Amino acid sequence: MSEAAVETGLGQRTRRGMAVWAGAVFAFLYVPIIVLVIFSFNASSQVNIWGGFSVSWYGEALRNDAITSAIRVSLIVAAASTAVSVVIGTALALALHRHRFRGRRALDGTVYLPIVIPDITMAVMLLVFFAEAFKLIDSFGPRYTLGITTVTLSHVAFNISFVCVVVRARLDQFDRTLEEAARDLYATAWQTFRRVTLPLIMPGIAAGGLLALTLSLDDLVISAFVSGPGSTTLPVYVFGSIRRGVTPELNAISTLMLAASMTIVLAALAVQRRRASSSQQAQIL
Amino acid sequence: MAAPTPAVEIDGVTKRFGDVVAVDDITLTIDDGEFFALLGPSGCGKTTTLRMIAGLDLPSSGSLRIFGDEVGMAPPDRRPVNTVFQAYALFPHMTVRQNIEFGLRMRRVNKSEMSQRTEQAIAMVRLAGMEERRPSQLSGGQQQRVALARALVNQPKVLLLDEPLGALDLKLRQEMQQELKALQQQVGITFIFVTHDQEEALAMSERIGVMSQGHLLQVGSPREIYEHPTSRFVADFIGRTNLIEAEVESAGTLRLQNGKLIAAGISAPSGAAVAVSLRPEHIRVHPRDASASRGDPGDPGGDSLDGTIADVTYLGHAVVYSVAAGPTTIEARREGDLGEPLAVGASVTVSWDHGAVAVIED
Amino acid sequence: MPRSPEARGGEEAAARAGRRQGMLLAAPAAVYLLIFFVVPLGLITVYSFATRTVTGRTSLSDWNIDAYRSVGDEIVVGIIWRSGWLATLTTALCLVIGYPFAYYIATRPRSLRAILLVLVMIPFWTNGLVRVYAIRFLLGSNGPASTLSESLGFGAFRILFTPTAVTIGMVYTFLTFMVLPLYVALERMDWRLAEAARDLYANGAKAFWKVTLPLTRSGIVAGCVLVFVPSFGSYVVPDILGGAKTLLVGSYIAQQFSDARNRPLGAALSVLLIVAMLIAVALNQRSGSGAENSDDAGSDRPRRRRRGADTDADSSSGSEAETRTEPAPAGL
Repeated sequence: MSEAAVETGLGQRTRRGMAVWAGAVFAFLYVPIIVLVIFSFNASSQVNIWGGFSVSWYGEALRNDAITSAIRVSLIVAAASTAVSVVIGTALALALHRHRFRGRRALDGTVYLPIVIPDITMAVMLLVFFAEAFKLIDSFGPRYTLGITTVTLSHVAFNISFVCVVVRARLDQFDRTLEEAARDLYATAWQTFRRVTLPLIMPGIAAGGLLALTLSLDDLVISAFVSGPGSTTLPVYVFGSIRRGVTPELNAISTLMLAASMTIVLAALAVQRRRASSSQQAQIL
Repeated sequence: MAAPTPAVEIDGVTKRFGDVVAVDDITLTIDDGEFFALLGPSGCGKTTTLRMIAGLDLPSSGSLRIFGDEVGMAPPDRRPVNTVFQAYALFPHMTVRQNIEFGLRMRRVNKSEMSQRTEQAIAMVRLAGMEERRPSQLSGGQQQRVALARALVNQPKVLLLDEPLGALDLKLRQEMQQELKALQQQVGITFIFVTHDQEEALAMSERIGVMSQGHLLQVGSPREIYEHPTSRFVADFIGRTNLIEAEVESAGTLRLQNGKLIAAGISAPSGAAVAVSLRPEHIRVHPRDASASRGDPGDPGGDSLDGTIADVTYLGHAVVYSVAAGPTTIEARREGDLGEPLAVGASVTVSWDHGAVAVIED
Repeated sequence: MPRSPEARGGEEAAARAGRRQGMLLAAPAAVYLLIFFVVPLGLITVYSFATRTVTGRTSLSDWNIDAYRSVGDEIVVGIIWRSGWLATLTTALCLVIGYPFAYYIATRPRSLRAILLVLVMIPFWTNGLVRVYAIRFLLGSNGPASTLSESLGFGAFRILFTPTAVTIGMVYTFLTFMVLPLYVALERMDWRLAEAARDLYANGAKAFWKVTLPLTRSGIVAGCVLVFVPSFGSYVVPDILGGAKTLLVGSYIAQQFSDARNRPLGAALSVLLIVAMLIAVALNQRSGSGAENSDDAGSDRPRRRRRGADTDADSSSGSEAETRTEPAPAGL
């Protein structure tokens, strides 16, 4: 049963047409990326003329202080916001999934908002918030400005929600009889969590963490609004450069970002694959 | 000498989930070394009762003692009982050995004793060679054995089993029934198991408690339960039966709805409404129009009813007749009859021995 | 009969302990979201009722609904209209392109299906900015596509900085958002129903329209919401591919907070955008699968523990595992 195509009751010609269509869509999805990657190894400084293979633009990009600084900021923000949001988001997922408490419903609804609302609105909300907060703090003395801290705080604000949703999906599959079995076998509540619950929801936590990492590394709009001088993230830098035009250096740095994304996807798939069938990846609100 | 302390005493225990009363004021005593079954349809409260003994649910009221100690509110890790869960609840991220060692580890049993007891348990359930496998690599029967070993290795005073054989196919289930009984003899502790399968309960246990809608209806040996049900529910739930409404005419005599008088061992006052339970296999069927076999010489004190065959089901090893006798339909099951079964529409007389009549006064 | 008087108290104490633990676990997230989400949300709402002073600053002293009034201005209405139209077009194109694509993948043999799904996941998780940049690079007036077209004798083409380019970029960015929910719905589909329709004299097309399509409706609705919502508020794609000519509501809001400095108007538009998105999502949840997410229903009832086939992921590795849903990254 497993190796046959699913019989769907469609005609032979429709099926063949669909195969061609699928091929075309894959081409649509991949050709632009592949072309970009190929041209990042173009020796010529003319972006449209192939001048032979070279990795010189990568060297060029990595010697650019603005770029290395942006990479550093992006990595720091991503690491910090992922770490914080994984802890807070997992705790929240556990609370919402298995406890009834006052305010649970309101919290449950609020968690989904940062996922649903457009980036641009989240960005201006946080911009206004930091502006007002700084005004308030300034009146007490210390002066704060937008910087790496505000970017990180903002990333945590949306990542908590994503981690929470992913971990909850894992908790939904979790069989609580296993916890009862552990309790029955003399484990205390903490031992049960530590030795049974945590190992079993770990793939969900890891997937949530990887999603948070991806979202943080990819975020442009929010970072653009809440970063200040010296805290430019890589996407913000790249966005600014794209507005000025296409350059070989941009091709190279884009390819590096692609490679980073790809690594995370593969890691995420590996995590999922450990215990899951192929259909577990799909995503919905 | 005083009577030995019972293994489990459930005393007026009630469990509510919000407005739903899952277990309603149950009192039950289970002796040390007994193989006891809690039997009932799904949702009857049997699993909740088991879970309260295990400490996985806390009673809303009442008292629960294990070997004399009040444990009603104690957490599961402080009770001398272990559970074999339905669908086993084996830890999927641990090997067979790690699963079995889990309880010992939690109680910080020292290394040498732990490995010795684990080996013993593995040998007892015949899982040698499987120690390093994951539960997902085992068959259903093997998973069952791991679950048993994981519980028994802790040397509990009482073993609780929640539908232990429910996930197995028929053949394996019958094998495991024998094995469980043998295992219980071997370890000599109290086994309490929950099942909805009445045949399983009859085959395995020394005593059965039948539950319905949160109530404990009857407790007794398989024979008592089957032959002398005290309620319509128990009569109907255990095996198949014909339930016939009747009224007490006088001591020893009942009047059926069609006015016919039959004999029954009954002490209820005259006029009381009762029900008669007649097992299909205790009912004989005699064709009336044929020249042969009207009445049975070996049936001096039997009662009978006249009727017509309404339906015939041929089962191979048995034939089941539905006989319409006035307002009631009586099911009769004939095993070992050779030849052509009687046809639908045939006029027949059904008869039974007095001993086959169980009167229900509920 | 001896009853233990503390029995009921014990049960209640356990429930109380559970509530306390739940609050403790939820507290960090609740506090964080309160400070960094709820308060900002409140602030932006307050701003939307504020006044823009002549110097471009925002004055909170005079409350009014001027900002909401100016949403009715011709320019703003035009921008909203254009954004809505583009988002609708993007959604429709994604559906038309994505449905047969998802259908094809969902009906492959299991092992091939897994590989194809990974090929869909990769662009889904790939940095969106880079993907938009790739389109810009490809379509640029001196980019590879134009060069190829020229060398083939079709002449150079100039579609960059046109609505067409923006539409291509939007479809390219959001197509996977449509494909994944469609795939989930189609993979779950019981194909014997389509066969039954064929058996009952429906031809292939009829079986599709009458059986397959209605049964995958939840996936279609979810996919449409997932594409429409972020493309309506999209900021990056029009900025990079449309240039200044294709001004959409996302970019317009951004402008109010930077160059134009009409924060009340930007705030009002943000509020309206959030409300619109919430309505879209709520409609999706209602039409999607009401039966599926009712985890609150009957919370007081005895907990029905799921048993049997889905007790643990490992033991069911051979069987059809339940399709999981994870959130999509917020749109660009």
